[in-house]
Amino acid sequence: MKNNSRYVLFFILPAILMLLIFVVYPVARTVILSFLDSDGQFVGFKNYSKVISSREVFDPAGFSRGFPLGALVHNLLWIAIHLPLTIILGLSLSVLLKNVKGGSFIKSIIFLGMVMPMIVGGVMINFIFDRNLGIVNGVLSLFGVQGKTWTAHPDTALLSLIFGSVWLWTGFSVVLYSAGLETIPKDYYEAAQLDGASSWKIFTKITVPLLRPITVVVTTMTLLWELKVFDIVYVATMGGPGGASNVLALQMYTYAFRAFDFNRSAVVAVILTLSTLAVSLSLVRSVRDEQP
Amino acid sequence: MLAFVPHGEGVYMSRWIVLSLVIVATLLGATTLTVIGPWSGPEMDKFMPVLQEFEKQTGIKIDYKIYRAEDLANLLPAQFAAKKAPGDVIFMWASFIREYGQKGHILPLTGVINEANYLPGSLNQVKVGKELYGTAYTGKVKPGFWYRKSFFEKNKLQPPTTWEEFIALLEKIKKIPGIKAPIASGDGVGWPLSDVTEHFLITFGGPQLQLDLIEGNIRWDSNIVMNAMTKLTSILEKGYFGEPTEWTLVLKQWWNGDYGLYFMGSWITGMVDNPDDLGVFALPGAKGVVFGADYAFVPKYTQYPEEAKKLIAWLSGPQGQAVQVKQGGHIATAVGIDLSTYPPVDREVAKIIQGVTALDDLDDSIGGEFQPAFWDQLKLLWVQPSRVNDVIKVLQEKAPKR
Repeated sequence: MKNNSRYVLFFILPAILMLLIFVVYPVARTVILSFLDSDGQFVGFKNYSKVISSREVFDPAGFSRGFPLGALVHNLLWIAIHLPLTIILGLSLSVLLKNVKGGSFIKSIIFLGMVMPMIVGGVMINFIFDRNLGIVNGVLSLFGVQGKTWTAHPDTALLSLIFGSVWLWTGFSVVLYSAGLETIPKDYYEAAQLDGASSWKIFTKITVPLLRPITVVVTTMTLLWELKVFDIVYVATMGGPGGASNVLALQMYTYAFRAFDFNRSAVVAVILTLSTLAVSLSLVRSVRDEQP
Repeated sequence: MLAFVPHGEGVYMSRWIVLSLVIVATLLGATTLTVIGPWSGPEMDKFMPVLQEFEKQTGIKIDYKIYRAEDLANLLPAQFAAKKAPGDVIFMWASFIREYGQKGHILPLTGVINEANYLPGSLNQVKVGKELYGTAYTGKVKPGFWYRKSFFEKNKLQPPTTWEEFIALLEKIKKIPGIKAPIASGDGVGWPLSDVTEHFLITFGGPQLQLDLIEGNIRWDSNIVMNAMTKLTSILEKGYFGEPTEWTLVLKQWWNGDYGLYFMGSWITGMVDNPDDLGVFALPGAKGVVFGADYAFVPKYTQYPEEAKKLIAWLSGPQGQAVQVKQGGHIATAVGIDLSTYPPVDREVAKIIQGVTALDDLDDSIGGEFQPAFWDQLKLLWVQPSRVNDVIKVLQEKAPKR
């Protein structure tokens, strides 16, 4: 038994070392950096108050003036709009396409957005919302509405990115929900139909509850993506115009590689890490509670 | 073992070994320098003859790689920290060269580059004290608003000589059927908008204003800046500028007649089908013009410091620059290049800059956090000119301070 433990230790040691060097050390160093000034002196929470009170991160004046509202609020808006839309669309499409001829083909097309690199997605979003080339303005012009380049205006830039990313991300929830639907025994539906339950009743009382574990996964993964969203914004708007579509991950990048202020950048990194950690822990807890 | 090899076969094998050694030695001895620059597409096609001429004259091979300065700003600090460099001669912002030269990551070129061979002041941006950390290659001028001569002739338009005439011209263009807006607004990263803004600042604030803003000697919310910005916003509010659109895309739209004017640097001459149809005018009263030289440096971590110095001296010297200006779209910073070397359209640009002050690009010179903020705020100003005070407030926050 003692020998076995030694072997176990021997085999996991390389992995532990790698984790310590490439994960634990950088995380610890980032946390430490967030409490230091540029000369390496300990400054407590001064960097945190500086970052949180900066107009780039939180701009309360924006609530009366209009965008930008600050990267933190923009991330929250992203979650508030993108998350429910992704879940509702994913669930509805997978249920609607379940028994439709050619449903798998349509689902594959929807999933294409997910397969595409997000950098390309950002470029595509720019085209979709362009005044002259975009499909959005093409559709609007059918109704006589005068279009604009939606990503170029502060009041519509963030919303354009959010709606564009719904198109890119919905494939993920469709695939997960479709797989989940296959696991629900057909007997449940047959029994409900025999009892005279309506389609809506069957959907709300059987499908939705039994897909709860899938919903937890979709919610968590989508939330994590929304918190760290960077590539789409960087490519499509660079957080502009005037910071109107800025997000936390982009702000972290700006602090680090534009202002060369690694301390403020570390603060944003810590805030993002804590937020993602909270979301991930809730997923782990939820999965653990579901186990018999 | 060799004792068992027959005599003839042993000689044969020895010859092979010698031949292989010669080939390996030749391959190892062949120097290939990597040049990193921002030019791609037609601009790259015009740069390659310069490199090819150097290869022909020296036998040193050159590998050209394209990196935008914005990307290099992210890549190089990490590479330098690891004592590495992605190229032997790198084109980059002057502010970056100065900063990293002082940090010891760049080879000084003092003694390699002879300052007397350049236009006065053209090397100032890459000089710290007496040490020269980079060199100036050819420059691009941002002379003003470009138009198609054929478009002006067809619509009976004339380049303006006063501000009132300029406004009247914009109004006339606006009324031409099929026109989206009188002036095309190039966008992308954001620098085309900053070029227009700088032209307004120089015209209505004077050349010294540009220098003072670079040095942080004057506030963005000062009267002189606000006066220039008010002129700009007044024509933005009237819809004389089009919506910001990717600059190469809007270039085509302008060329096809969707817009009447386009503010762009002199490199535009290399990007249109018929450069002879190009005309250009500065804002009436402009006494300064942005002359944006391309700067290059040799990183300390190059494997071939001597060859790299030789290349950079040749490139930025009269020989290299002459090959480049001959291709069009570039103005030399080296002295002693005959005007007949330039294509006719560049001579027109040269005429515009006669008698006016050549100035450094504002945001390139300041760099850092200010540059992306400047670009981003101007994107906001272009679509919501009424928020000029918000824009000025942010710019003042990010601007260098003395």
